[in-house]
Amino acid sequence: MEKIESAAESRKLLNKITNDLTRSIVKKDELTRFWFFILIMFVIVGLWGWIVQIKTGLGVTGMRDYVSWGMYIANFVFFVAVSLIGFLISSALHLLKIPWAKPISRVAEQVAIAFVALAGIIIVMDMGRPDRFMNIFLHGRFASPIIWDVTVITTYLAISVLLFYIPLIPDLAILRDKMSDKLPKWQLTMYKILSLGWKGSAEQYKTIYHAMRVLMILIIPVGLSIHTVTSWLFAATLRSGWDTAILGPYFVAGAFVAGTAAVIMVMYVYRLRYGLKDYFEDFHFDYMGKLLVFVCLVYLYFNVNEYLVPGYKMKEADGIHLNELFQGNYSGVFWIVQVAGLILPIFLLLFSYFRKPLPISIISFVVLIMAWLKRYIIVIPTLEHPFLPVQNVPGIFQHYSPTSIEVMITIFSFVAALIIISVLAKLFPVITIWEYASEKGIDKKYLTENDKN
Amino acid sequence: MNNKISYIIIAILFLSVQSFAQEWLVPGDQRNIKNPLEYNLDNVQKGKDLYLKNCKSCHGDPGKNNALPLVPPPVDITSEKMQKNTVGELFYKITNGRGGMPQFKTNISEDDRWRIVNYIMNFNPNREPVLVAAPKVKAKIMASVNEKERKVEVFAEHEVKGKYSSLGNEQITISAKKYFGNIKIGEVTTDNNGRAEFNIPESLIGDEEGNVNMVVSLGEDYIAEAVLLEEAKVGQNKKVQKLIKPGILWSTNENIQIWLLLSYIGAVGAAWAAIAYVVFQLIKVKRLGKTEH
Ligand code: HEC
Repeated sequence: MEKIESAAESRKLLNKITNDLTRSIVKKDELTRFWFFILIMFVIVGLWGWIVQIKTGLGVTGMRDYVSWGMYIANFVFFVAVSLIGFLISSALHLLKIPWAKPISRVAEQVAIAFVALAGIIIVMDMGRPDRFMNIFLHGRFASPIIWDVTVITTYLAISVLLFYIPLIPDLAILRDKMSDKLPKWQLTMYKILSLGWKGSAEQYKTIYHAMRVLMILIIPVGLSIHTVTSWLFAATLRSGWDTAILGPYFVAGAFVAGTAAVIMVMYVYRLRYGLKDYFEDFHFDYMGKLLVFVCLVYLYFNVNEYLVPGYKMKEADGIHLNELFQGNYSGVFWIVQVAGLILPIFLLLFSYFRKPLPISIISFVVLIMAWLKRYIIVIPTLEHPFLPVQNVPGIFQHYSPTSIEVMITIFSFVAALIIISVLAKLFPVITIWEYASEKGIDKKYLTENDKN
Repeated sequence: MNNKISYIIIAILFLSVQSFAQEWLVPGDQRNIKNPLEYNLDNVQKGKDLYLKNCKSCHGDPGKNNALPLVPPPVDITSEKMQKNTVGELFYKITNGRGGMPQFKTNISEDDRWRIVNYIMNFNPNREPVLVAAPKVKAKIMASVNEKERKVEVFAEHEVKGKYSSLGNEQITISAKKYFGNIKIGEVTTDNNGRAEFNIPESLIGDEEGNVNMVVSLGEDYIAEAVLLEEAKVGQNKKVQKLIKPGILWSTNENIQIWLLLSYIGAVGAAWAAIAYVVFQLIKVKRLGKTEH
């Protein structure tokens, strides 16, 4: 990157960048209000469903004795999966010094925070007695993967929040200093507190670079753990379909597919909504498309291993499970997920046309839905086929189908994640101004100078 | 106890071949037989003891309607249906039985059967009862365990004309409190001073540490609070098989493998130490902002 020497030119460019990147914060229009209105309506409906569920108990769900993990857990696994993208883009690609990933890392962190937070919440919603939540910590068993999962999710959430926040500190100072006429007072006070008295001194920069680096390294093992441990919730049992050694990496690979797709969609929305064509450029989508192909290929490879090897052996109990997927009740979902969620995207995204912003966003949308369905058929079919024969119970005990309350609460969780992302976009720049500016060759000293106009 | 079980088995066996009984007809000549025994306190009292031993398990306590739920039901002996019977009919039915109602021809003597009839008639609305339950007396028990000598020491008092005085010559029951009710361990009778010492049998089994929760109580004729002697170390240790293998996945905290615990604590500790370090860096940023100008 070349340095811009002239002060006037630097200031002009910086001004433009600041304006563009704070548009999401400053802009207030009907559409935004409408968007939040819709989201809040859904949230109210979902919370009402939850109240009904707490009052009447989990009997309002489709879960019974045999299938005791239903849509909520499938959703949970999906959320954990999506959140893993924060680790891939803002840490792994960063540490590999892949420059194009930089502007995307804020988006990735937003998605990570929103989805990992909701993963935690959906688990509480899956509890029959959420008032006994503290028992997890008071009476938890250290030998239980559930405790590991609770721990690792909390840790990942903490790291993601820090990793979102720390690179923002210089930007918060810019907002604090330059937006005083455009923003309400509470917001400015918040920036003031959060910017930690940022002056832009070399020492301060050094400190946050250091802190970021520590976090980026830390998030690698924690990020890998979060989804590996989630897979162990399944793999540490003896049920067919779950009892495989490959489940950890299989989940991680699947997570990258879902997360990449989610980030592409959010990027596209920001680009459109906040006029950030020059920031989320076509080539970003192009690279993200290639990344998606890559992670899809890895996931496909794992899928082949996961299904072909046991499918070849067809051990008795595994056979029942696999037949259910290949040609039984779940075959429709199974094959659609494999084709529309993996094979087709891989094929299409090989063509540069489909890596353009709009087509790839549509593909990502499909991939994301398929990723959700995939979690569903990982969780439920296994439970429908216990080893011991199912006897003397009503038919609804054996076959699971979600009830409207479950659907309501699941939609709630998605909407709540969208709210978190929207609020973060409303309060903080979706690309860090200072990083972007210095990328463009603007000296850091212009960032903190008070403009006189 | 054994009687009860065999009766229930008999009852169930009979129930399956149960005729759809409505009327229980007694031959005319049997119906009007006279009771050869006198209706007096002695016979009624004996009849009561026989009833408690042989019949209560199905027919329940008189007047409490707590009979076994059989079909057709063994009715309460104070009920109208029972009392409609003539003495002859009662005698015939007890003697021969029907369906769930066993016959007592062979195991209760004729005289005793008549005594039971007398007892049932004690509840007949047309007769003067000769056996009236004495009003219950208020009483108090004090009890303590001597773990060393393996003894329960009891002192009982009852109320006489508004004053408590020692209750001599009365039976005290010692039981072990279990999840589903009390199991009788034994009985002692108080001496003239209202005191009694119960020797705890060696064979008594307690919990894993040998502790027994004992209940000391008086008979039904008294209104007295039973004394609960908690966690007396007088029993043998109960041997509980460990059902969970040590070191199995998803297991309890006592069973956790040490490597697993250490890995968990190590990993979590390291991650949060690093997070704390980062937070400390933020504090440093803040401090730098204050000092420099
Ligand atoms: C195994 C349970 C059982 C035991 C023990 C038992 N009974 Fe019965 N008794 C019944 C049942 C059941 C009936 C109802 C039979 C029927 O109506 O077919 C019955 C009926 C009777 C009847 C007839 C009531 C009527 O409807 O006219 C009399 C009398 C009677 N029992 C007396 C006795 C006496 C006295 C004893 C003890 C010596 C006794 N029972 C023991 C179960 C029992």
